[in-house]
Amino acid sequence: MKITAFTQLITVLAVTTWVFLLPVPAVAIILVLELALLLYIKHDRLTMAAIGALTVFTGMMILLQLIFGSPLSVSLTGGLRMFVMTTAFLCLLAATKIQDIAQALVEKFHLPCEYAFMLTTALRFVPDFLTDSATTLDAQSCRGYSNRGNVFKRFYSYLAVVKPLVMRAVAKSDTLALSMELKGFGANTYQNMTPQRLCFADYLVLFLVMLLSLYPLWSKYI
Amino acid sequence: MIEAKAVNFAYHRGEPVINDITCKIEDGEFVALLGHNGSGKTTLSRLFMALVHPRSGDIFVDGDNIEKLEPADLAHQVGYVFQNPDLQILEDTVFAEVAYGPRCKKLSETAIKEQVQAALQAMGLENLADAYPRTLSFGQKRRLGVAAALALNPRTLILDEITNGQDEQEKDNMMDYLQKLNKEKRITIILITHDMNIARQYAKRAIVLNDGNLVFDGTTQDLYNGVRDLKEWGLTQPIMAILSAAFIISAPTVEDFCEKLCLKEGGER
Ligand SMILES: Nc1ncnc2c1ncn2[C@@H]1O[C@H](COP(=O)(O)OP(=O)(O)OP(=O)(O)O)[C@@H](O)[C@H]1O
Ligand SMILES: [Mg+2]
Repeated sequence: MKITAFTQLITVLAVTTWVFLLPVPAVAIILVLELALLLYIKHDRLTMAAIGALTVFTGMMILLQLIFGSPLSVSLTGGLRMFVMTTAFLCLLAATKIQDIAQALVEKFHLPCEYAFMLTTALRFVPDFLTDSATTLDAQSCRGYSNRGNVFKRFYSYLAVVKPLVMRAVAKSDTLALSMELKGFGANTYQNMTPQRLCFADYLVLFLVMLLSLYPLWSKYI
Repeated sequence: MIEAKAVNFAYHRGEPVINDITCKIEDGEFVALLGHNGSGKTTLSRLFMALVHPRSGDIFVDGDNIEKLEPADLAHQVGYVFQNPDLQILEDTVFAEVAYGPRCKKLSETAIKEQVQAALQAMGLENLADAYPRTLSFGQKRRLGVAAALALNPRTLILDEITNGQDEQEKDNMMDYLQKLNKEKRITIILITHDMNIARQYAKRAIVLNDGNLVFDGTTQDLYNGVRDLKEWGLTQPIMAILSAAFIISAPTVEDFCEKLCLKEGGER
């Protein structure tokens, strides 16, 4: 059973509101469900790394809040909320191609095509950028770049890695813009998308989402 | 001098990429590192430069074990030239670009000037010292990359497929500069290449990798004798080697070969 990108987007948006709406035990249950779902969809190294990084980041957030004097319970629920929200997005990204998400944004949320295109293009740059940055780092360290020393020194010398990357990205986007223009981008005649149709599963999920979102209305009757 | 002793390597938890390689490259040698795509050439050279460290075994540069060092520590001993020069261009003039290495090493301004000028001269870029590096031609950018590595006065240069995508003239040009460095300054050259002609013409020694194993280590003359079957390693005999073997004429270049062939034919007639 597969639900469309539209429903998934709605669900993710809903989860981000529930995080603040629902009581803490319910949020914890959502977290368990999310993690189970995420691992069901995809359990490769990257997913694990993402969960790991998120955990560390959440831990740091909680610690920071504690340092700045929030009570333990507040810091913990804050951390939990952020974790749940981010995991929802991880699920979305794991389950759906960026193109589908972009298409849903265009069709159902009436986002202009250009913006959706920008989103997918920008995301496509990410893996390229990662390999480029690894190469630049290697190349500069072979010429004597080193990230030893205090924070300021490190930051200053890191410019040696950042600058070529930025120049490269600028050059690349130049080429991209030119080639897009040559292919007639901006003519507003995109017709090659098969529309995404909602099916029973979609309506079911949407109904549940709505029900849960109205929690504040019916919570006093239970 | 670079020496590898029983070196093994694998990326992350992947398949082994380098299997038990032992070899020694002496000062002043001109070595071609050959092998099919994915045979481990780049990985072996990255091990030499401390960009990655072996799973087991040791690597020595000028007699010192490099297991605790990082590339920056080796930069004045070994220069490493990458394939894509665009990814390292940093400064607004060719001179400043080449001076980046010496500046990192905190040399005095006079020493920097001296070394940069020598490096530019060695790669034929002295007239372009004030040019903007990004607008150089592709071949010039490649030479700039070599000059940048040379500026730290390393004893060894490792060059990973730097003649790719250049026209014949620019290739010869680059190789002539490298040969001069090797002959006149006795700089050790380790050249990674898929170009059998270049390897045959310029390198004295060849090291061949096949699926991470060292399968040949000897003279290029022996490797390219025109009859050895190199297919199982994913290599081919250069046409000149086959011709030389067939006509029993040893000649480094086509022109040389034709001349000797004419002489021979003339003699026989
Ligand atoms: N960063 C990396 N992570 C994982 N595996 C890698 C990485 N780099 C290379 N490999 C793998 O290691 C093996 C050897 O790669 P290497 O780049 O050393 O080969 P090569 O001889 O330089 O090939 P080419 O001639 O194509 O440049 C290949 O199977 C490759 O897939
Ligand atoms: Mg390679």
